[in-house]
Amino acid sequence: MALKGLGGKELAFNIALFTLCAVIFLIILYPLYFIVIASFSDSTLVSTGKVLLFPKGASLFGYKEIFQDSRVWIGYRNTLFYTLFGTLVNMLFTMPAAYVLSRKEFKARRPIMFLFVITMFFNGGLIPTYLLMKDLHITNTFWVFILPFCVNIFYLIIARTFFETALPAELYEAAVMDGCSHFMYFAKVAMPLSKALISVIGLYYLVGHWNDFFTGLIYIRDNNLQPLQIVLRDILLSNQVFQNGAGTGGGAASGGYAQRYADQIKYGVIIVSSLPILMLYPFLQKYFEKGVMIGSVKG
Amino acid sequence: MRLRGGARVFKRDYQLWIMIAPAIAAVLIFNYIPMYGIQLSFRDFDFSKGLTGGAWRGLDYFRQFIDSYLFTDLMRNTFLISLATIIVGFPAPIILALILNQIRRKRMKNLMQTTVYLPHFISIIVLVGMMNVLMSPETGVIGYMMKGLGLGHINLIASTNTFIPVYVLSDIWQHCGWNSIIYLAALSTVDPQLYDSAKIDGASRLKMIRYVDMPALVPTIIILFILSMGNILSTGFEKIFLMQNSLNLPVSEVIATYVYKIGIISNQFSYASAIGLFNTLINFVFLFAMNTVSKKMSNTSLY
Amino acid sequence: MRKKVVGFITVMLAATTIISACSNSGGNNGNSNTGGDPTADSSTGSGSGKKVKLTAIMTKHPLTKPLKDMEWLQQVEEKAGVEIEWQEITADWDQKKGTMLASGDVPDLFIGPNVITDADMAQFQGLFQDLSGMLDQAPNVVAMFDAKPETKKIAEQPDGKIYGLPKYQRFWPSTATRQYINQKWLDNLGLSMPTTWDELYDVLVAFKEQDANGNGDPNDEIPMDWPGGIGGYFNAAYLLSGTGMTLTDGSPQGYFVEDGVVKNYLVDERYKSLVVFLNKLYKAGLINPEVFTHDYTKYQSVARGEGDTAKVGFTMGWVASDRFGEQLAPQYTSMSPLKAAADSTVSWSYDYNSLNYGVNQIVMSAKSKNKDAVMRFINELYAPDMGMQVLFGSLGPNIKDNGDGSYSVLPPADSKMDPGTWKWTSTMADNGAFYIPDSLQLTLGKDMQEVLEQSKPIDAITIDVDHDVFPSFLKYSSADNSTMGLNNTNVMNLANTNFAKWVTKGGIEGEWDSYVKESEKAGLKQNLEIMQKYYDEYKQQ
Repeated sequence: MALKGLGGKELAFNIALFTLCAVIFLIILYPLYFIVIASFSDSTLVSTGKVLLFPKGASLFGYKEIFQDSRVWIGYRNTLFYTLFGTLVNMLFTMPAAYVLSRKEFKARRPIMFLFVITMFFNGGLIPTYLLMKDLHITNTFWVFILPFCVNIFYLIIARTFFETALPAELYEAAVMDGCSHFMYFAKVAMPLSKALISVIGLYYLVGHWNDFFTGLIYIRDNNLQPLQIVLRDILLSNQVFQNGAGTGGGAASGGYAQRYADQIKYGVIIVSSLPILMLYPFLQKYFEKGVMIGSVKG
Repeated sequence: MRLRGGARVFKRDYQLWIMIAPAIAAVLIFNYIPMYGIQLSFRDFDFSKGLTGGAWRGLDYFRQFIDSYLFTDLMRNTFLISLATIIVGFPAPIILALILNQIRRKRMKNLMQTTVYLPHFISIIVLVGMMNVLMSPETGVIGYMMKGLGLGHINLIASTNTFIPVYVLSDIWQHCGWNSIIYLAALSTVDPQLYDSAKIDGASRLKMIRYVDMPALVPTIIILFILSMGNILSTGFEKIFLMQNSLNLPVSEVIATYVYKIGIISNQFSYASAIGLFNTLINFVFLFAMNTVSKKMSNTSLY
Repeated sequence: MRKKVVGFITVMLAATTIISACSNSGGNNGNSNTGGDPTADSSTGSGSGKKVKLTAIMTKHPLTKPLKDMEWLQQVEEKAGVEIEWQEITADWDQKKGTMLASGDVPDLFIGPNVITDADMAQFQGLFQDLSGMLDQAPNVVAMFDAKPETKKIAEQPDGKIYGLPKYQRFWPSTATRQYINQKWLDNLGLSMPTTWDELYDVLVAFKEQDANGNGDPNDEIPMDWPGGIGGYFNAAYLLSGTGMTLTDGSPQGYFVEDGVVKNYLVDERYKSLVVFLNKLYKAGLINPEVFTHDYTKYQSVARGEGDTAKVGFTMGWVASDRFGEQLAPQYTSMSPLKAAADSTVSWSYDYNSLNYGVNQIVMSAKSKNKDAVMRFINELYAPDMGMQVLFGSLGPNIKDNGDGSYSVLPPADSKMDPGTWKWTSTMADNGAFYIPDSLQLTLGKDMQEVLEQSKPIDAITIDVDHDVFPSFLKYSSADNSTMGLNNTNVMNLANTNFAKWVTKGGIEGEWDSYVKESEKAGLKQNLEIMQKYYDEYKQQ
């Protein structure tokens, strides 16, 4: 039925919304566009600000260098494996735990949560952690990318909050009356209703794995196990040789040369490393659809 | 099937314990076992005696830090940067989520969503390099725009006044979209019937945002805010390190960059460890305080 | 039943992952411990058929090709009867190193520029092998010590032990920094080469106002540029040489020696006059406005100008072709140091030691199970005909044997590449461990010849190495090292901030005295005392 006189306001709102979105879109987009065209341009022209809207001094040098390097392909393969397997493990550990912590009848939930939160702030430091990994024999193996810190407390908290607010108590009562256990409720009711949450947390873990370079840096010796980020970081960092003054020990004869080659590669690197992930998000968007709980709970 | 009350509770509870067991095991093993390393803040690091064998120094390293020449500068800079990041950076993703949620046309909404979260993936090295190019007063696009607006005398990357705004705003540019995902997910669980009934009651779009959307976000907002209080004295290391130059050094030298600089010279494990512990203690105290306040004022809290 | 199954599976999954991780040590566990072949007879000579497996880390330049592709390296391994599994590190060595050393998880061998510092050696007692007792297995190293006694001094700890071996590369000039001015611009404007600071000022003004590069745009010239900040190679601080001050290794933190006294220019009156001078230049628009904010990429790019049009008038660099690119390099001339005033004596920076010698380029782990094999490798690495290959690349693709006992460095196989880049991509280059004897006859590549050619104005200056140069490789105690490190962080923080402020905004007159006091309080005074003590001890040896 027609609504009372909201035509004008509605229109004004939509115009404002559209304009706002357009501005946001351009602000976000231009630097991204810049990166793309810079990756195709000559680095000297890029640094001196001559590249504005179109690639200049077009060259595929950066990309050629990246893709010819076999380490990049090994890195891709490793990262894919660590990311997929790692995220799976993450979700397996985190989701049930978040569910448990959201159950008000679980007496131990506050103390356990406190214990978890402490670990967000206090940790023993890199060396004891390294020694532990060594004692567990997972250094220089792929396990070091999967197991340690497989529960991110921050995401755990988000998931718990989600379960607390989005799952009505009545739903559970009804299920219990039908003889449903926690396992079953979790698997058959909570999970399907939490598609948005699974997508988000899954995506967070996924990206965390994808971007992680620190683990490989400290715990891995074998070049065949290194993820993509390490390979690309090597390439990027060669640009920073002189960041803090050339006097830092023998740098003179090394940094000046080959600088330009590293520059050419810089922007191409970011595209190469981000592309697969960027492809992913549109597929997950459909899980953010509204109305997943229509009709499940009355009044 | 029908058991007495207590036994039934226990039967159901053991299932919960099983479900949470892997997480507890993981945290115990990987987080709590290495915790003994914290005592390195109170001991000398003596390689030959192992991590726990060094001479006991008590609060010496903490005292060294507090008495150190740069202490007040470091604390002030770190605090200001973190605070600014929270004050400006916390609301931004919320607002963005609310805006994006209002887009009715699906294609446009998808396009906007995908676009805004792209910057999150740019490596920080590339980002700062790009910022230097774009903001350069002589040759950068933003530099040109500043000149056009008559602000050409301000060098965005060189002034102590602009360091924090540039740092925070570029942070928002990069992460706002990504951070809004969680809010968008929360908004997606809102029952559409609520919107319909609001419309029937004559609510405008803005009113709907205020009375339907916002309440749906409140629990998430509270939790995330408490967590962000835990970062009251944290800045990233890498971005600040890359953005530092001689002209902005008075405001850009923070605890993280200082620890890095003393670390690469001489492996000062104990001193660096003590500074780190000092830092996280302050963060934790803030978080604890905020959580207690939240418990009293609302139902939502971390623990 | 299903509900129990789900829970059960979860638990089993968790359990199995943890268990398999513990038992997976046989699987993917790399050679994180010293991988030795226990059956190999490590006391026989090379070529005994069975190769000893070693593990090694090398910190190399990011663009260097994989070590297994280096021909000379394969030969060295062959001759020593070893097979090395290399871990090639191109970044973040400092972060990796700390953890690795603290956990004792080290390979047999480390190679790289100061790959393990003296501070590390002092802190991690017992982790590194004392080589002083094993030199009989490395006659080539002994030969180096005999021919160049400085190398032995560099290698020896105060107690006579040797944990790291140095390199000696012999061909490098006495300074890393050469001063360049655009000759074409001077000629265009009919100016003569400046010889003093004031003359420089006039020339730079002319550059700025008279469209020196002749392209019609009077505003696109940058008369003077440097990487930024204060201290280090290519820095404006080199102008201090015009006051008679001799810097050492570019004096990145301001320390220098004058008549046997250790000083720091950051609190010296001559530095004050330099800052006043630079402020004058800056106010007149003669210095690149981005000098304190540009990164190295931008700094280099700008100097390459556009095509044939140069942008920078006066600056410093390693060699013209690197600083300005091949196309513009011919426009620039290397200059003699500028006098501060017409009656000043000039000096320059003495970088010979840090350019030609390197400390701790190769280090052995004390926990290695194949120390003899490692020594064999080291010996082969230091062979007199190997050094040039480590530095410039293998015989064949990179170096030509002229047949008469002399050699020549060949130009790059890829004609688009400059010789410097070619060197760095082909081999370990300056990051390696090697000895190039003074007796070797080697014709250098184009880039090095240019460097030596352009160094001539600097070579003409006499420097009193005995009294005006700070020794490059002093070994400090662990405690002193920590103290100096902390102090220097504070002092440089203060120095950089104020330098940038005074050059761009002025105001040094009113603030100088309090700045000096602050710097001394921040630890400068303490550092000078420490360094003087070590210097005096060194002089008495």
